[in-house]
Amino acid sequence: MEDLVWTTLIRALAFGTPILLAGLGEIFAERSGVVNLGVEGMMALGALAAFAVAQSTGLPLLGLAAAVLAGAVAAALFAVAAVSLRANQYVAGLALTMLGLGLAGLLGKPFEGAPLAHTLSETSLMALALLLALALWFVLRHTYWGLVLRSAGENPETVDAMGINVFSVRYAAVVFGGAMAGLAGAFLSLAYRPSWADGITSGLGWIAVALAIFASWHPLRAVVAALFFGALYHLSYRLQAQVTPELLKAMPYLFVVLVLSLSALGRGPSGAPEALGTPYERGERR
Amino acid sequence: MRKVFLTVLVVLLGVFGWAQGDKLKACWIYVGPVGDYGWSHAHDQGRIAAAKALPWLETQYVESVPEAQAEAYMDRLVKQGCQVIFATSFGYMDSVLAAAKKHPNVIFAHATGFKRAPNVATYMADFYQLYYLNGLMAGALTKSNKVGYVGAFPIPELKRHISAFALGVRAVNPDAKVLVRWIYEWYNPAAAKEATEALIADGADVFAFTEDSPTVIQVAAEKGLPSFSHYSPMQRFAPDYVVSGQLVHWDKIYIDFLSKVYAGVYTPKNLQNVDYWWLLPQGAVELGGKFGEPINPKFIPVLKAKVVDHPVFGKISVYDLVMKELALMKDDELAFDPFQGPVKDRHGKLRVPAGLRMTKQQLESMEWAAPGVAGPWPNEPK
Amino acid sequence: MRRLGPFVIEKDLVAPPARVLAVSTLALLLAFAAAGVIFWAYGVSPWLAYKTIVAETLFSKSGFAEAVRRAIPLLLAGVGLVLAFRGQFWNIGAEGQLLLGAVAASGVALFVHAPAAVELPLMFAAGFLAGGLWAALPAVLKLRLGVNDVLTTLMLNYVAAYLVGWLIHGPWRGKSAFGFAYSDRFPAGATLPLVPGTYVHWPTLLLALLAALLVWLALERTPWGYRVRVIGDNPEAARYAHIPLFGVVFAAALVSGGLAGLAGVGEVAGVHHRLLDAYQISLGYGYTAIIVAWLARGNPLGAILTALFMGVIFASGDVMKLALQMPFRVTDVFNGLILFFLISSERLLYYRVRLAQSGEEE
Repeated sequence: MEDLVWTTLIRALAFGTPILLAGLGEIFAERSGVVNLGVEGMMALGALAAFAVAQSTGLPLLGLAAAVLAGAVAAALFAVAAVSLRANQYVAGLALTMLGLGLAGLLGKPFEGAPLAHTLSETSLMALALLLALALWFVLRHTYWGLVLRSAGENPETVDAMGINVFSVRYAAVVFGGAMAGLAGAFLSLAYRPSWADGITSGLGWIAVALAIFASWHPLRAVVAALFFGALYHLSYRLQAQVTPELLKAMPYLFVVLVLSLSALGRGPSGAPEALGTPYERGERR
Repeated sequence: MRKVFLTVLVVLLGVFGWAQGDKLKACWIYVGPVGDYGWSHAHDQGRIAAAKALPWLETQYVESVPEAQAEAYMDRLVKQGCQVIFATSFGYMDSVLAAAKKHPNVIFAHATGFKRAPNVATYMADFYQLYYLNGLMAGALTKSNKVGYVGAFPIPELKRHISAFALGVRAVNPDAKVLVRWIYEWYNPAAAKEATEALIADGADVFAFTEDSPTVIQVAAEKGLPSFSHYSPMQRFAPDYVVSGQLVHWDKIYIDFLSKVYAGVYTPKNLQNVDYWWLLPQGAVELGGKFGEPINPKFIPVLKAKVVDHPVFGKISVYDLVMKELALMKDDELAFDPFQGPVKDRHGKLRVPAGLRMTKQQLESMEWAAPGVAGPWPNEPK
Repeated sequence: MRRLGPFVIEKDLVAPPARVLAVSTLALLLAFAAAGVIFWAYGVSPWLAYKTIVAETLFSKSGFAEAVRRAIPLLLAGVGLVLAFRGQFWNIGAEGQLLLGAVAASGVALFVHAPAAVELPLMFAAGFLAGGLWAALPAVLKLRLGVNDVLTTLMLNYVAAYLVGWLIHGPWRGKSAFGFAYSDRFPAGATLPLVPGTYVHWPTLLLALLAALLVWLALERTPWGYRVRVIGDNPEAARYAHIPLFGVVFAAALVSGGLAGLAGVGEVAGVHHRLLDAYQISLGYGYTAIIVAWLARGNPLGAILTALFMGVIFASGDVMKLALQMPFRVTDVFNGLILFFLISSERLLYYRVRLAQSGEEE
């Protein structure tokens, strides 16, 4: 029993790492007022960029950098549509997911089944994710820039009144979120399962979106949520004979519906940024 | 031997024979990507080898065709002039038969299936003999007496392989168990990874699997645990940890089949009883994780050191036992078979009576589990 | 005379149809151009790619039939989304509702043995109901508690996919499935007839066309449709007019989910004849239906054209796989780019108009 708890915790942390990384990024984007549903696509692009670069140069750290860049560029593209052009954020995110998955599947074809000589260790990235969670919590809660970011999501007019460009803040948050999603992708293709395969993200991006909500947009609660979701996934294989795997795998999504409903009833943790999902129009009264 | 001679003759007839100048177009439908290093990859290697060996052959392939879309793809291939279509997934069975009815002048060959028609043949290069030999080695290597198996689907083919594997494990190590986890996908590295981790967490220390990527091997190797390669020469992904494995030579079947089509032996009218069930004697399968190397030399000393008391051979090292039974099965199908009766299932029910063997049909529809298999086993007969 | 909130966009959209058409076309052309660059990067000549697509889908009988087959679920789900979006119900859950329709139809096909004349209508009815109910939960949560409908409908897609997975691995796994994960084949009376020589299950096609017509009539010619339009165009005005928001939008949500459910019935009864893996049932039709609805600009009849257009995109995925060995993911590239340029350009159009107006005001 003790062994079950311990091994489950370790595996939960491993599986939880990509969703924690991407989830932290999404928390930042959403805290600035922008929902980016393109996490899955950015993660796939990150995974491919990481693998392609690491495979051809033999330098996994360079692959990591490439993944961060790929995620950031994809997010910037999204920001052009969703922030500058004020397109519907949700639909723009869906478009980014389709595009990211499609592009990665297409351009990744030559890398399918290719071996990777130098990989990254799961443990070091797991530690990095935990440190990042702590650091991001600090930034968000205790620094000036954290305050600005949160204000952009709660009440963008005040940020504007402070003389700070709301668009710039949101761009920065969204691009940062993309970089984190890219990092999550790199974890998958360089450490978790060192390889490239179409569909390598297998819905993890959506779990990251769920995680942001489930953790009520709080970086430290995100750690707990990632562990919880990771444990569910691991147990779906571990307890295959005892529990229906599909039930365990569906739980993160069901929990999000539940959490959203409870917080709407005022009985659960709330904390959705006020201006979440609303494009900002300068000088316009709402 | 006569069979081999006939094959050679037919190939020669095909190459130098009367149908000079005429091309034959053969097309392959794969269920996974050709780069997957598993099932589809192996078939594509067979296609490439056949195209090289047969100058009159023109080939085309489509990869990653979901089973539900197969029939429409076959229509398109026929439209593009394919005269022979190889459908390489069990799940294509109904689609193959429907398409064959629609295109009576096209020859279809369905891998792993058992339904035939005048223009539908079936073929399979099966591994169950190799899995038994892998099991012998796994049984000798496990220290925890728990051998892990990551399976794709609980279909008869896998149940046959896992049971043969477990019989091998138990033959040298009567206390060992084979822990099974299913991932319900032919190709899903992430699921294979998590299933392997779950098996490791449950104490397994030697691994075999059915999934189209080297994931299980890599995850096990990271923890310093030995494993058996599946389908493709995956030893290179963990040269110090892959013990042996199963390799396939689909080209043997493809060259034989296509040569006979080209020579006019096979027509769209006479395939009702054409069923290739090729094993070790035909050279369609090979023991090892690397072509030409049945057992990784790194593991030979351990396997030689492990001596067991065998009912037929007396005191014998596991290495010698593997090589002896491999030679027996290669030379003569009748000399040795993993499912030589009496064989009981894991609940103690007699499945193969003493003195008998399983027929091909019984092997193809096998649902029971051999003793030592532990884990969920859907459709298990009572 | 001031504009109210973000809803000016809608108003602007209906106003000059010629410009909307021009901008949509421009967005599509840009998407195709961008896709061309991607093909070039992949190593396939864009010219060859587009030539192949056009020849094999538009100018090939069987290719066009495949496009029509793909357009069937897209039209049903797309018409439903047109209705939902008009009523401000942001249903991103057509995929899940489609799957629920497939589940319900499979349940009837496998376990209810009615005469053939009753069986199929029963399957469609069950599918409509199941899809509708799957949309009802998010609708109630939105209308009663103000829960974000985009997120709930989206999350329920995954729940639906795992529900299908559980059924085919567990209680509904077929006796003839040999251990694979799918149900038994439906009896012949529970399968739809095809247009000879194609895979087009024509009863569902007729149903889809009928649905487009009926939804158009309901929207344009009934009091209920009028209310939906008022709520969509101007929720403030709807409140002043005492339009019962809950009843009107809830009905729209039900019908929207129900139509997606019908699409699911068509796929299992017309194409697969069994319940199987979620991603084999649908190929993402529920998500692509969002593009269908967006392109149709709120017009159910327009969805007939846009569904066919997206059907051609799906069929081109087959063509490119076969002729150019490109992965089916090509369709995702097309989908993503089209949607991306579409929503971006839409705002650009609005932005231009808005500048001119504010100039007048000053």
